[in-house]
Formats: sequence, structure tokens, C-alpha cells
Amino acid sequence: MIDATLLLPLLIIGAAALLAAVFGLPSLNRRLNITRLSWFLALAPLTATILLALRVPQVNEGIVFTWQWTWLPTLNLNLGLYVDSLSLLFALLVTFIGTLVVVYAGQYFKGDQGAWRFLAYLLLFMVSMLGLVTAGDVLTLFIFWEGTSILSFLLVAYKTQSEAARYGAFRALFITGGGGIALLAGLLFVSNVAGGTDFGTILSSGDVLRHSAVYPVMLGLVAFGAFTKSAQWPAHIWLPGAMSAPTPASAYLHSATMVKAGIYLMARMNPALGFTDEWFWLLTIFGGVTMLVGAYLGLKQNDLKALLAYSTISQLGVLMMLIGQDVPEAYKALVIGIVAHAFYKSALFLVAGIVDHETGTRDIRRLGGLRKVMPYTFVVGTLAALSMAGLPPLFGFLAKETLLVTITNMPPAVAGLIRWSAVLAGALMLAQAGLFIWETFMGRPKDPAIQAHEAPAAMWLAPAVPAVLSLVLSILPGPKEEATFLASAAQAAFGAKVKVSTVLFHGLTVEFLLSLAAISLGVVIFLARWRIRAWQTAVLPHFSFNKLYAWVLAGIDRASVWATCLQQGRIRPYLHLMLAATVLLVVGFGWNSLRFVLPISWPGLDFGGEIVVLRLFALLLVVGASLMTVILVRDFNAVLAFGAAGLSMAVLFVLEPAPDVALVQIVVDILAVVILVLALARLPRRQRRKAQEVAAIRRYSGWSLARDVVVAGAIGLVVTLITLSALLSRPRESAVTPYYAANAKALTGASDIVGAVVVDFRALDTAVEIAVFGMAGLGIYTLLRFAAQKHGDNRVEEEEMAAGDGRQSTYGIGGLRTSAFVRAPAFVVLPLSLVLAATQMMYGHDQPGDGFTAGVIISLAVALWYVVFGYEETRRRLPWLRASAFVAAGVLLAIGTGAVAALLTGSFLGNYDFTAGWAFMPSGFHISTSFLFEVAICLTVLGSAARMINSLGHPEGRERD
Amino acid sequence: MELLTAVSVGLLFAIGVFQMLRRNVIRSVIGLMILANAVNLFLLSTGAYDGVAAAYTTSSGARSDALPQALILTAIVISMGGTAFVLAMLYIISARYHTADLDEVNGLKN
Repeated sequence: MIDATLLLPLLIIGAAALLAAVFGLPSLNRRLNITRLSWFLALAPLTATILLALRVPQVNEGIVFTWQWTWLPTLNLNLGLYVDSLSLLFALLVTFIGTLVVVYAGQYFKGDQGAWRFLAYLLLFMVSMLGLVTAGDVLTLFIFWEGTSILSFLLVAYKTQSEAARYGAFRALFITGGGGIALLAGLLFVSNVAGGTDFGTILSSGDVLRHSAVYPVMLGLVAFGAFTKSAQWPAHIWLPGAMSAPTPASAYLHSATMVKAGIYLMARMNPALGFTDEWFWLLTIFGGVTMLVGAYLGLKQNDLKALLAYSTISQLGVLMMLIGQDVPEAYKALVIGIVAHAFYKSALFLVAGIVDHETGTRDIRRLGGLRKVMPYTFVVGTLAALSMAGLPPLFGFLAKETLLVTITNMPPAVAGLIRWSAVLAGALMLAQAGLFIWETFMGRPKDPAIQAHEAPAAMWLAPAVPAVLSLVLSILPGPKEEATFLASAAQAAFGAKVKVSTVLFHGLTVEFLLSLAAISLGVVIFLARWRIRAWQTAVLPHFSFNKLYAWVLAGIDRASVWATCLQQGRIRPYLHLMLAATVLLVVGFGWNSLRFVLPISWPGLDFGGEIVVLRLFALLLVVGASLMTVILVRDFNAVLAFGAAGLSMAVLFVLEPAPDVALVQIVVDILAVVILVLALARLPRRQRRKAQEVAAIRRYSGWSLARDVVVAGAIGLVVTLITLSALLSRPRESAVTPYYAANAKALTGASDIVGAVVVDFRALDTAVEIAVFGMAGLGIYTLLRFAAQKHGDNRVEEEEMAAGDGRQSTYGIGGLRTSAFVRAPAFVVLPLSLVLAATQMMYGHDQPGDGFTAGVIISLAVALWYVVFGYEETRRRLPWLRASAFVAAGVLLAIGTGAVAALLTGSFLGNYDFTAGWAFMPSGFHISTSFLFEVAICLTVLGSAARMINSLGHPEGRERD
Repeated sequence: MELLTAVSVGLLFAIGVFQMLRRNVIRSVIGLMILANAVNLFLLSTGAYDGVAAAYTTSSGARSDALPQALILTAIVISMGGTAFVLAMLYIISARYHTADLDEVNGLKN
């Protein structure tokens, strides 16, 4: 049944959290009364409880409420809710106990102006927890699951000044967070196999999941997540550490709700993953060990909260074990155990908090005799402790008895062992409950310094509610509504009918006798408690899993130290590592697709065609010239060799034949060489000399050279293989080129197909590209100007000012004297380049050349001026050359043209001929949007390239010694 | 021809990477530009058609593939801008460390 009102409880509590957070504002914080605020905020979980409780009759009839919101349809990601009786049971516990805890926290933090933070965290936690138990999608569940981990961290570390709190919080986050990662992996496996992430799909595909080959993997991962969250041995160590949280948080998170998340998850997944041998053994063993370890360790604690923490661990072990059984009685025991434990344990925690709050200590060696000064707290505590001890007529008795019934129904091989373990654990629990009450409230005060008085009513009423419920639930006569609800919840977890009755006495059965045995044994342990505790401290005092945890953390630290050894802080080793890793990755993962090219046959080269010979020759030139950049010792020569390689590339383009590309390649190659030379000239002479020294191959040690050669060679080999496989398997029929060829003239008015693609079909690409090019120019300008200011050498400027007497026109770049024979052509070249550029743009549509070539041609002429006349003179003679303005104008013109074209043709940067049909236009020339776009490209490129030349040619950065 | 092209691209890559690994700033920029050339050569060779005529609607005979050519055109421009920017950055770095030797640029460590 789809029902969006399910979101209401989440939203209401979320709003309350927001309201609490608002009180962090200084102006509001001054007027904050935390007690009054908590009363008001408690209305939110209370409302949620009522809203949820109203659905109990419907879920009892087996109705499942769902709601789904498609979040990312392409990835099939949904947010979803799924509420059946199992979810509702947990949700009610979360909101109901949450209400009490919020009220209690208001008293606990009375007068603390900073406690809005606690309330905000607590309510946010409530949202996460409620979301977790009502999630209808494994990913939704995971998000809320992580939310509870993070908020638990914040709550445990609430007292940020305390080292223990921070340590405990980190440990809890480390363990539960690690479990969360495993859980995510497990849930992804599950949803992949089940074919959907929603619980509806997953819960109904149990057979598919159980017979899947990856069943052990997903079971292990999911169980790992649940075990860490629910503090199962040996991950239980985080729970006692989390006791450094303020007591309201401990009562809520670490007894009633968060630690039950793992229980909920496993119970939820039981219909999907359960009923197998693996499931049985995994949960029985870990649950059983946890039960015993928790019960055993709890007895030796001196801190009230630690004692409760270990008994919680023990109880969680019991619940986990119960989920592992595939008999209906186990699920009856499970739901009763969950409710009983949530009630008595939250009450006991809150009582411990009251004791701590009123006396200032939780150490049972200092407490005692409090029953006289704190009578109400004493009664409430005793009631809850009796339930924990499993004594009739309380709900806890029922829980223990149903547990024992389950065990008598087990296969006989394990039943005996588990039965007596359960009896022993029950006895230990009873002893601990006795310890808790006796040492705190009975006897005589052990520490006279403690001045205690009764807590305010609102404080002891909070634990009183669940404590009294423990009694009422079991002794209430008549037809029991809650029994029906519990049965329905158990049925949802078990997948088949479960009978639940809350009748206390069934007659003289085996489990009743076992119950009696547990009680008697517990009384004996309680009476001998000091002797047993002394013995416990003597035996194995040193070993604990905390050591293992500390060792693991230290190991991680050491591993990270080792890993950062690779961080040498120098560029070349990083490059080596990255390149080598790339090679390994490509070969490792791509070998199968690359292998097919290996039986290389020597190509039957047809030397008949002269094109082939020319191509071969050009390839040889490219590779050879590139190789020369390595061999040549002087940097200037290497730059020239690179220029030669670029020109040889142009030859290859011509042979393709690709005249447009060849033209661009030639002009860009020249521009690149100019820029490289300018940069070279800009380097201070001393550095240049040093650079020259390290450029020579023979200066490298054999080892470092070998490393470079191996890395470079490996890259080359891999690239060869990739290229070969790409070329051999490429389609010989293009999917798009025929369309371009057929429509170029009609749609863009260009007979140059490449030009049509650049300025029309893929015009947006080009627009972005010129923007990038423009930004590169401006970026260089900013970089170099910034550096020039920061590391500028004032000496240079002074020298320049001294030279500023009109003679500088005879000095070219680098302060070299240029002759008139060089200067004269420069005057001619610039206007010539402008004309050339104009024709490029006008006729680029039907001939090689475009706006880009035009821009580069003009900038090359400008570069010549810089070389011949020097920086200052060029700036003076060419005042119109405003590089940044050109870039801006170019980009704006491109956008404007695109917009106009969009208006006229309906397509951004589409082609529209303004002069169509005009008789007096020169033939082949049209003023069209494409032409304007070419102008825009030219302006941007000219501006940017001029910026580059200008910045690199600027004398400030150059050392003139 | 494919094998020879592939070997050439591989060789250019090897040379480019080797140059990038030099200590000399200028050489490493040259290495970057050689890599750009290698990629352009690769793009060129991926054309679907072996043409004998340029890609014009007016030309007759088998036309070369226009698509990789347009891509290369863009690639040339972008790599030019990118390389110039890298050059400026390397210049700044060497100005800050007062060296053009990349092995003496070790500020990442501290």
C-alpha cells in the first residue's frame, strides 16, 4: 500500500532537529532554556510515535506500507520506505524511547547553554535511525545506516575536551564505519543477484539469493556490517568505549536503538538470506560467543555504565543467535527479547545517569545506600533490574523463558552446549542486575564525601515509563493487542506464522526448570560476587581485543608511513610512478583486447605509389627530428629540432591529404617555436647554463637513465600495441563523415568539409575551444605578471629607465642590436599578414585556412616585431594591439553571432547568409554568421597569442647581466 | 602502413615521455609537445577512408576522412594553448626556486 504520509514522522523529527540547531545562533542562544526547549522538542517524537502507532492494526493484518521516489532513473536509484510490522516495531521503539530521552536530556543538561548541540545531534540521530528501520530500499537503508554511525560519533565525542571521549568515538566510528563499507558491498551483491534494490524484490527472491554462487560472499559482507554495528564479538570493543557519551545518548543509542540496527538488518534479511546452514552456524557461533563474553566481562566492571554496556553486548549476542535459528519459537523469543531489553536497559541507563548526575560518580566501589535519599529512583531501578535479571513477573522473565524454549527445540548436537551457555549467561545477567542495584542503593554509603539527593520528577519519570511497562506488558490480563503485534513482527522476520503469547506460566516444563536453574545459579554468583570478581581480575587481566585494535591502528599508521616513503616531493619520481602504474594498469586490464595484434606480419608495403614512399619519409622525419631534441645538447637547437618535427607533421597532413590541418600545423608550429624561444630567453642566464648542463644525456647516472629509458620504452610499446589494435580494428566506413560530406554545401555554404565541421557542424566545440585558448593566454599573463611582481628584480626596471633615452629602438629582443635589413621587412610583414588573414577568413569556406590560421598569422607578424624592435618599442608603435580586449571582443562576438544565428536559423551558431543574392559581393565571399564566427575566432586567437608573446617577451622577467 | 604508423606513434610517445622525464624545464615542455604530435598522428591515422583528394565537396575522387581532420584541428589549438600555459607555470616554478632543474624543485616535500 503506497503511503507518502510515512514521511511525516521523519520530517517532523527533522524539523525539531533544525529547531534545536537554530538555538546555536548567539542571539537566540542567550534566551535558551534547555529544559523548556526539550519539553517542546519532545513533542516531535511523541507525535511520530502516535502517527506510527495508528498503523499497528493495519500492519497486524499484513499490510505493508511503501513509498518510493525515483532519484536517479538512469542508474535505477530510488529512495524508498517499507513499513511492515517488523519495521514498525523498531520504529515505535525508536520514537517512543526517543521521546523519553529528549525529556530526560533537558533535565540532564539543565542550565547548559551549549546543550542545543546535543539535542540537535540526538534528534538527527533519531531521523537516521527511524529512516534506517523504515527504509524500503537497500541504498536508502545504507545512507541512514551511515548517518547513525556518524551521529553516534558526534554524540560519543560530545565532550570534545575529553581524550577518552574522542578516542572512544573514533574507535566506534572506525569499527562501525568499516562494517558499513562491507555492508554496502554486501547489499550491492544482494540487489544485483535479486535484480532490484527495493525490499519488496529482495525479500521475495530468497531462493535465488540462497542458490547464488556468491551467497557466502554476500552473507559474509552483510553479516560483517551487522555484527560490527551490533557489537558482536570480537567487534564488541567499541561499545564500552562509546560509554564516554553523555548518558542520555548511551541510553538511547547504545542500548535501545543503534546497536539494534544490526539485529534489525539481520532479521529483515532473514527471509532473503536465512534458512541455510551457513546462516545458522555464523549467527549461532558469533551470537553465542558474544552472549558469554559480554556476560562474563560485565560482572567485573566497576563503572555502572560499563556494566550495562557489557550486559547489552551479551543481550545483543542472544538476539543475534536467535535470528540464526529457523524455528518460529526463536522469532517469538527475538521480538520479546528486543522489546524487553529496550525497556529495561534504557531505564537502567537513565537510572545510572541520575545516579551519576546527583552523586558525581558511577563507581560501585564508592556508591551505596542511596535508597533512602533517592527512593523513586531506587524503585524504578529495581523494577528494571528485576526485568534484566529475568525474574517473574516481569517482561524480562518472559524473554528469558522464550529463549530457553527455543534452545530446547534445537538440533540435539548443539542444543546441550547452547542451553547451558544460555543458563550461565542468564545467571551472570541476574548477578549483574543484583550488583547494579545492591551496590548502588543498598547497604551503607561507602564514600561519605558523596552528598546525594533525589532527582527532579521529570528525570526519574523518564526511566519509570519503560520500567513500569516491563511489568504491565507481562501481567496485563485479557486478549493482548501487543501479543498480536509482536506475533505479526516475528512473522515478518521469520517469513511464516509465529505464535506469540505473553502468558507467564505454562506449567512445569523443561524451560521452566532451566529458568529456575539459571535463577538459582545467578543467586549463587551474586552472593559470591566479590570472590568471583577478584578471580576474574587475576585471570587473564591483560588480554583484550583492545590490544588487537590498537595493533591494527598502529599497523595502518606504519603502512601509511611506508606508503608516503614514495612521496619524495620531486616531480620526476612522481612522473615515473604514474607512468609506470599506467603501463601496468593498461597491460593488466587491457591485455586480452590487445593480444590479438601480436602475430604481427610484416606489411606488404606497396612501394609502387609515390605517396607511400613520401609518407614513410615524412614519418621518418618526424621521429628523427623528435629524436634529435633528445640528442642535441643546446636547448636552442632542441627547440629548432622540435620545430622541424612539427613541420614534418605538416608534410604528413599534406599527404593525407588534409590541407586545412597542414596549414594550421605549420603556423602553430612556428608560433610554438617562437614561444619556446621567448621562454628560453626569459630564463636567467645562470639558470639557463645550469639547465644546459642537465640537458646533456651523459650527465645522467646510468641507473637514472636506465629508469627513464625503461619507462619511456614501456609506454612506447604499449602505445604501439594500442594504436595497432585500434587501427587494425577500425571501421572502414564512417558513421558521420558521409553526412557531413553530403550536407556541407547545403547547410553551411562551405565546400571545405573540414571547415564546415569546425565552424558549423561542431561550432559549439570551436566556441569552447577558442574560449579555452583565450583563457590560456590570459592565464599566462596573470601568472607571469604575478610572479614578476613577487620575485621581480627592480634592478631591471632601473636599467630600463636609464636606457629610456630614445636609443632602445635599435635593441631587439634580449637587448640584441638589430640591423635595418631586419627591421625593414618587419614593417612590410605586418600589413601583409593582415591582408593574408583577411583572405583566410573570407575564403576559408571553400579553401584551406580559417579564422584560427588568420589569428596565428597576424600574431606571428607581431612576434616578429617583438623580436626585431623589443618589448617597449613594439608596445609604443602598435598601440592598437590590445590583447585582452581582443580576446574579450572575440568571445563576445562568437556568443553574439551564435545568438543571432539561433534567432535566425533556430540553431546556435547555425549558418545564415546576410548577403545572399547581393549582386555586388565579390564572388565566393558572403557576409554570413560563419564568416562572423571566423572573425571572432581570429580575434580571440590573435589576442591570446599576442598575450602569450607579450607576457613571455616582457623584459621584467629577464635578467640582463 | 598501419604497423609503421603504430610504431611511429609508439616511438614518438617514447621520445615524448623520455623528454618529459628530463631535469631540464625546456626539454620537458618539448616532451609534452611531442606527445601532442603523437596523438595528432594517431588521430590522423584513424580516418576511415584512404583518400587521394582533399575533403572538399568540389573535389573528385576518393576523399580523405574529414572528421579526424576536424578533431586534429581542435587538438592542435588546444594543445598549443595548454602547452603555452604549462610553459608559463614551469617558468614561474623555476623563478621561485631559482633553478631550471626540476630535481631542485622539491617544495612538495615540505
